[in-house]
Amino acid sequence: MNFSENTGDPWRVGVLFSQTGVTSAVEQSQLNATLLAIEEINSGGGVLDRMVEPVIYDPSSDPKQFRSLAERLFQVDRIRLLFGCYMSSTRKAVLPVVEGHRGLLFYPTLYEGFEYSRHCIYTGAAPNQNSLQLAKFLLATYGNRFLLVGSNYIYPYESNRLMADFVVQARGKVLDEIYVPLEAAPRDFEKVINRIKKTSPDVIFSTVVGRGTSVFYEAYRKAGFDPAKMPIASLTTSEAEVAEMHREAAEGHITAAPFFETSSSPSARRFVESFKARYGPDAPVTAAAEAAYFQLHLAMRALARCGSDDPERVLKELRDSEFDAPQGRVRIDPENNHTYLWPRIARLDKFGRFQTVWNPGVRIKPDPYCVVQSLDDWSADDLQTISH
Amino acid sequence: MVAIQILRDLRGLRVQVVHPPDNERVRLVEHLRRIGCMVETQWPVPECWSDNCDVMLLAVEHDVRSDIQRLLKSGDGPRPTLIAVVGYEDPSTLQLVLEAGAVAVIERPIRPFGLLTNLTIARSIWLEKRETDKRIRKLERKLSGIQRIQKAKAVLMDGQGLSEAEAYESIRRQAMAKRLSMDDMAAAIIHANELLQYRAKDV
Repeated sequence: MNFSENTGDPWRVGVLFSQTGVTSAVEQSQLNATLLAIEEINSGGGVLDRMVEPVIYDPSSDPKQFRSLAERLFQVDRIRLLFGCYMSSTRKAVLPVVEGHRGLLFYPTLYEGFEYSRHCIYTGAAPNQNSLQLAKFLLATYGNRFLLVGSNYIYPYESNRLMADFVVQARGKVLDEIYVPLEAAPRDFEKVINRIKKTSPDVIFSTVVGRGTSVFYEAYRKAGFDPAKMPIASLTTSEAEVAEMHREAAEGHITAAPFFETSSSPSARRFVESFKARYGPDAPVTAAAEAAYFQLHLAMRALARCGSDDPERVLKELRDSEFDAPQGRVRIDPENNHTYLWPRIARLDKFGRFQTVWNPGVRIKPDPYCVVQSLDDWSADDLQTISH
Repeated sequence: MVAIQILRDLRGLRVQVVHPPDNERVRLVEHLRRIGCMVETQWPVPECWSDNCDVMLLAVEHDVRSDIQRLLKSGDGPRPTLIAVVGYEDPSTLQLVLEAGAVAVIERPIRPFGLLTNLTIARSIWLEKRETDKRIRKLERKLSGIQRIQKAKAVLMDGQGLSEAEAYESIRRQAMAKRLSMDDMAAAIIHANELLQYRAKDV
């Protein structure tokens, strides 16, 4: 029945990242990175002398649209490999479609774990690759009284549960746990700001995603809090969200991720330079974009090896395969389809740029089904590399 | 907090997968390992319960019906949490599932999604049931103790013309003097009375 094997037709791949809606900023960075990787491959002659052709739709940060566009990609456009999704709700909407068509989804976003589909490759961080390290850093640097703030959907709840667990392990206290709507307005953060004033925590752990992020950081700034004593720490505040806020609002806050735009390795620099050359100096390069970039390269290399875009065969090539990504050498874990990644923590400087404060230089195996993680899994020595 | 403890304990849980060696078993074992369980496989159906497993995933197949029944009859010792793996849901399969005392069912073909949930629910129900059983045994012991004291009081009230309160006080004092429990004292009184009754009839 198919498809384009052994013909001169291009390899068509599906691409679903939102260019509009609440998480469009970070998803646009993922789209940019995906297209950059495709251009790089095509300018090198494509894959087995055939160009890669993305079929792109804008699902508008809406799970229902993600689902119907995924159906269209598989049924009308006849793609077999799909690259996309940011929020878990959108991945959950797309996955049954991918499984139903025996396709393969490449998902370049950190998420809450507790999922495995043999029709999905997860290239963002699982909680054991960012939350644990962030918790340890925050507890050692700022104290153990936490206030948790998040957007109202699955990822923040699970992230907060895990963070609360770490805080309890450190004999600390969760002072409050507050959720704001996904489409958050300034008044939604009034309660949060009041609670911060009232409880004065050591750390505010934020799992607010998308546009609400800048609104929250601006509100924090306006309230006159001091990030040196009481930072907002996050896993989802990336270069894309920072670009939507004033520099002063960003300064001093903390994010954990396997990649930052400011990462200094030669391969990271090369990636960021190509990205900026293609999309302009102000286009944010996020960790989610970096994952989108290397997963496309990984997928196309697998495709070149097996000579087909048959997901079963691509999957076989991907197992255990390694790739020199901008963050460092990554590897797909054959047990769980997640990716070995390099945890890092950075603080935003006065120019709104992430400066690395913790980088142990260790690659971590993904463990998506880790219910409880022990803070002791990391030795204290790792934290002495912090520079203030 | 109990709920989260069950999830915590899934890590390192010893799971025995009693299932014919095929692709379904491979998928099952792979996903159990992903979850963090310690898995061992077994086929055919073993003759008795293993001492070193917490959970058994048992393929309920009609052609091994007699093997399953033999396993169910073996020994009264502690049993693992039993989860049935089924390919059919016809009444005779379900009957076997119920007879086996399974607390959850996983259907074939095996899908990763849902296994964690089933494992958690099964573990929770099984632990709850174990607690309930313990409590019931304790209550049964207590109840039969009360019945014995009741009977011993009746013996004293009849034989010695005591009031109920006096009879109770008498049992209590004797128990203390002989360093016995009230229950044992009551049993001794009932026993002695039976001996006396026997002789009385005999004469």
